[in-house]
Amino acid sequence: MLNIFILQCINIYYNIYRKKRVRAYCNIEVKLSIGNVGQLAVDLLVSSTGADRVGYLDDPNLLPCVGNDAYGPLPCGEIALPLERVLYESSSTATTLAQQRSPVAKVLHFFYLYNIADLAASSGKKHVIVLSSLDFQRPQHNLNMSRGPQVYYLSNAEASERDDHCERLGFGRLDEYDSEERCWKYLSSVFEENCKEELTFHSEDELEDIDYYPSLPFAALFSAFKARGLKVTCLLCYCSEGDNIPDAFFLAEAASKLTSLSPDKFHGGGKWQIPYSWKSMYGASPDMSMF
Amino acid sequence: MEDVLTENPPPSRFFQEDLNNFASPPPEPLPSPFIVFSNPKPELPLKPSLLIIALSSPSLYIFHTLPSKTLIGTLIIPELPFSGNTVEPSLQDKSCNIYSLSDNNNNNNSVLLVSVQLPVPPERSNLVSRLLVGQDIVPARVIILDSIQSRNFRGRLSPDEALAAKLETSSEKKAAATSRLSLDYFPSGSVIDGLSASLLSRCQLKNIRGTLVVSWPEFDPSVVRFVGALLKSIVPSLDIKSVDKDLEKYSSRTGLKRDAWLDSDLYT
Repeated sequence: MLNIFILQCINIYYNIYRKKRVRAYCNIEVKLSIGNVGQLAVDLLVSSTGADRVGYLDDPNLLPCVGNDAYGPLPCGEIALPLERVLYESSSTATTLAQQRSPVAKVLHFFYLYNIADLAASSGKKHVIVLSSLDFQRPQHNLNMSRGPQVYYLSNAEASERDDHCERLGFGRLDEYDSEERCWKYLSSVFEENCKEELTFHSEDELEDIDYYPSLPFAALFSAFKARGLKVTCLLCYCSEGDNIPDAFFLAEAASKLTSLSPDKFHGGGKWQIPYSWKSMYGASPDMSMF
Repeated sequence: MEDVLTENPPPSRFFQEDLNNFASPPPEPLPSPFIVFSNPKPELPLKPSLLIIALSSPSLYIFHTLPSKTLIGTLIIPELPFSGNTVEPSLQDKSCNIYSLSDNNNNNNSVLLVSVQLPVPPERSNLVSRLLVGQDIVPARVIILDSIQSRNFRGRLSPDEALAAKLETSSEKKAAATSRLSLDYFPSGSVIDGLSASLLSRCQLKNIRGTLVVSWPEFDPSVVRFVGALLKSIVPSLDIKSVDKDLEKYSSRTGLKRDAWLDSDLYT
């Protein structure tokens, strides 16, 4: 059974909803990224699998936000908090999904990541999947659009930094990842307890185009989980700000393939279920009374 | 003014620097917020049966006009200056005062009011909410009064149409229907951030009955009357007669917002 987990926080309030020990091993994590694609993809997975909310994760480094239940089918008044954990269980797999709805306080980013990685490791999770997106406007050295949109992966599954399972699924390796490049090395040094090498912080002014990838939140999370000995796979897609629903479907489908969460096992009878909260994603319709 | 046709669309609820691991390194940590209680210092934690926290202008105005309240403490955020504050509490002060509606000296005050008249930075909200809910004060029930934030609201907000909605904790939802506030739920898809969100989150995590009531418009006499009636339904002994007395002056006090059109970019 896969052991995937999104982990984070000092406290896990399991008893908010049920006194049930979460024995899921597979965790799908999201990081803030352009277009909020990772968050939209997790919303889609939660809504479609009918996963149950099993708790909230309390971390003082997250900026606060609250809202009504995002999934529906009606706004039932169940409160939604910045970092939630939901559990999907079937006879063959147990997967937890974590949804992060607000940014981390800017200066506390690394503290948040320490907490998350510690919690993931201490709860026995084996595999973490991080969903995120990349800015299409940034330079892409090996972007090949001839075969259509592509999901890219970053994995520590093997020493070669390649993942056969991902490649069989048609995902492309993120070639821009270079563990010896200065910013990737800096991230590793931040999270590895026994790192002997002292690396200097690079201020924003010193960053170059090649530093774009390690500057993104998913890169820090990848480094944090890796340092805790967890198997971590980042699934990424390029997008722009705008209507990111198709990107969310694309990324959610990739995650479902990787975790064997196939739509035919979903509670909706094999179809993706649009979360209720998406109805107002682009605001209210225009006031026609002016015409 | 930027060209709306060619400029990049705004990011979704975060800033570009939130996507950069190498944004400026963290500054020196700030001293934590703390509460100073008046003499004699009460036995902590205080355990009121009800804690009402005012963040919106209408609720702050009502709290200010309530006659029978006793100032028992104030919350200090060290980096926010006191300059300009008056000796006697005033609506113009940058302060966060805590009042008791009982004027006995019993440590277990039944109803506590908090007037949040200072701009709590989002990254300090969690520390402030921990002080008010679960640390120095452990209430049995919490009501938070704030305004709908237009930047986070996905519905239509009209300056002529008053709205109110609520969010509740799980404990509040399980309470008897007659004791709960009869309001529609805040619509799904919109969010509330800042201190009011942190306070309600704290209530949810601590299994405390909590309700966040958000209203619109931010400055309107009708909303003041609505909030006054709401508070009266929760605390029947509340004396809100003086709220109507100075209500005509309410709009003039909030002149900054009423004249907001003068600040529009169209007139630069």
